[in-house]
Parts: sequence; structure tokens; C-alpha cells
Amino acid sequence: MAHDWQPDFEPLVDQHQSMVFSLALRMTGDRGLAEEIAQDVFLELDRNLGRIETPDHACYWLRRVTISRSSDALRRRRVRGMDLWVDLGEAHGAQREERSSPLGARLEHLLTTLPEAQRAALVLRYQEDLLPEEIAAVMDAPLATVKSNLQRGLKLLRAKAAHHLREFVRFDLNEGA
Amino acid sequence: MDDFEKELALALERRPAPPSLKRGVMQRRGLRSIERRRSTWLVWQRAAAGLLVAVMLGGAAEWRMRKVEQQRQGEEARRQVMTALRITGHALGEVNAQLNRNRGGE
Repeated sequence: MAHDWQPDFEPLVDQHQSMVFSLALRMTGDRGLAEEIAQDVFLELDRNLGRIETPDHACYWLRRVTISRSSDALRRRRVRGMDLWVDLGEAHGAQREERSSPLGARLEHLLTTLPEAQRAALVLRYQEDLLPEEIAAVMDAPLATVKSNLQRGLKLLRAKAAHHLREFVRFDLNEGA
Repeated sequence: MDDFEKELALALERRPAPPSLKRGVMQRRGLRSIERRRSTWLVWQRAAAGLLVAVMLGGAAEWRMRKVEQQRQGEEARRQVMTALRITGHALGEVNAQLNRNRGGE
């Protein structure tokens, strides 16, 4: 189908690199791998640029492919028996601490201990501010599954926060549980 | 959103991408474009080589066919000459026999 929007590759990279990198980082927990995934995603975008119809479509496409490539990378790592989150905590923890509050950094780290589907749903919900319907479209999953992943993920994260973040807690961890 | 979710949203703000990300993308994109041009050139080179080989094979086949045809025509001509010679020989034999008969009659 013909469309009027003619996307330029470089402005798209400028505009979305932070989003793609952050999604990949929070899905994999490894800065190096996240950067590699982000580069692959943008090169794939370059190959498929002719099929992108609107700026919103580009954003949707990038989120979808980033989540998918991150899951692939995690699967490959699992097959090879590597634990990414050890890497995150030990190699990249310091960089994370520099950029966010201690509580934020700890919360972000706790997020990385959640099951992959719940983590993806929470990242799309709270990083990208997407609605469950939009998350379902990005993840190509039923809406009920996404809602369940959001609820369970949030509940699990609250429980972990209650256990690990007592010194920081200023919110009611039982709220919404 | 309750306080916990607000705190989570704050913790999950987008991170700035490292400068090496865009640099890497543009570099790999450039390399891929060179690779693509090189592979296109290779395809053309192979096509040209294939065409050259096809033309040479076609020329050789044509030359061979002409040679066979020439041989066939030569054989045919030789056969015709031989037939003509045979007929001529036969006619001369007839004439000679006639002359001999006439001499005998005198």
C-alpha cells in the first residue's frame, strides 16, 4: 500500500535510540548486549524502512522488534548457560547508580529478577507509559495475558521491594496488592 | 498510580543511549552499503563472465556446425564428382566399345 511519509534513517536513530537502548538494557540487563541489540534493531529498521508508514508505526515497530530481539538474546544466553543478571549487578551496577537515585537503581535491579514476560510488560508499562492494549499489540499477546503479567509482576516486585528495600521504603508496599 | 508505581516509573525513565550506539549503527550501515555494492559488482562480473563463456561456447558450436556442414558439402561434392566421373567413365567405355566394334567391322 502506498504511503506519503518518507522516513529518513538518521533522524529516526536520533529520535528513538534512547528508547530502544533502554528497552534492550532493561530486558537483558547488559549494557554491551543492549547496545548490540539496539544496533541490530536499527539496521533491521534500515532494511525495512520502505514498509514503515507513519512516525507512530516506526515507534511501534521499534518497540516490538526490540522486545523480540532482547528475548532472543536472553534465550541464546540461557542456552549457553550464562546468567546475565550477575553481569548487570557486577559490571554495570556502578554506572546505573550514577544516573538514578539509590532507590530507583535498586528497584530497577529488582525488576531484572522478574520472569521475562512480566519484566517486558512492566518495562513497556512504566518506561514507555503504554496501556495494556498497546502492550498486547507490541508483545503480540492476548490482552488478558498482558494484564495478568502486569498484575503478577507488580505484586512480585512489591514483595521483593518489601523484603530488600526496607531502608528506602516511603511508599505503602501493600498498596494495590 | 500509587506511590510504588510512581517510584517504578521514575526508576524506569529512559536512559540516554551511549554515543557509540549511533556511531556503530552508521558505521555498520556504511559497511553494509559497501558490501551490497561489492556484491552487486560481483553479480555483474559473474554475469559478464557467464555471458562471455556462453558467447565463446556458442561461437565454438557455430564454428563446429559450419565445419561439419562444410565437410558434409565437401563429401557431397566429392560424391557428385565421383558419380560424374563414373558416368563419364561409363560413357567413355561405351564410346570406346562402339569404336572397337566399328573398327572390327571395317
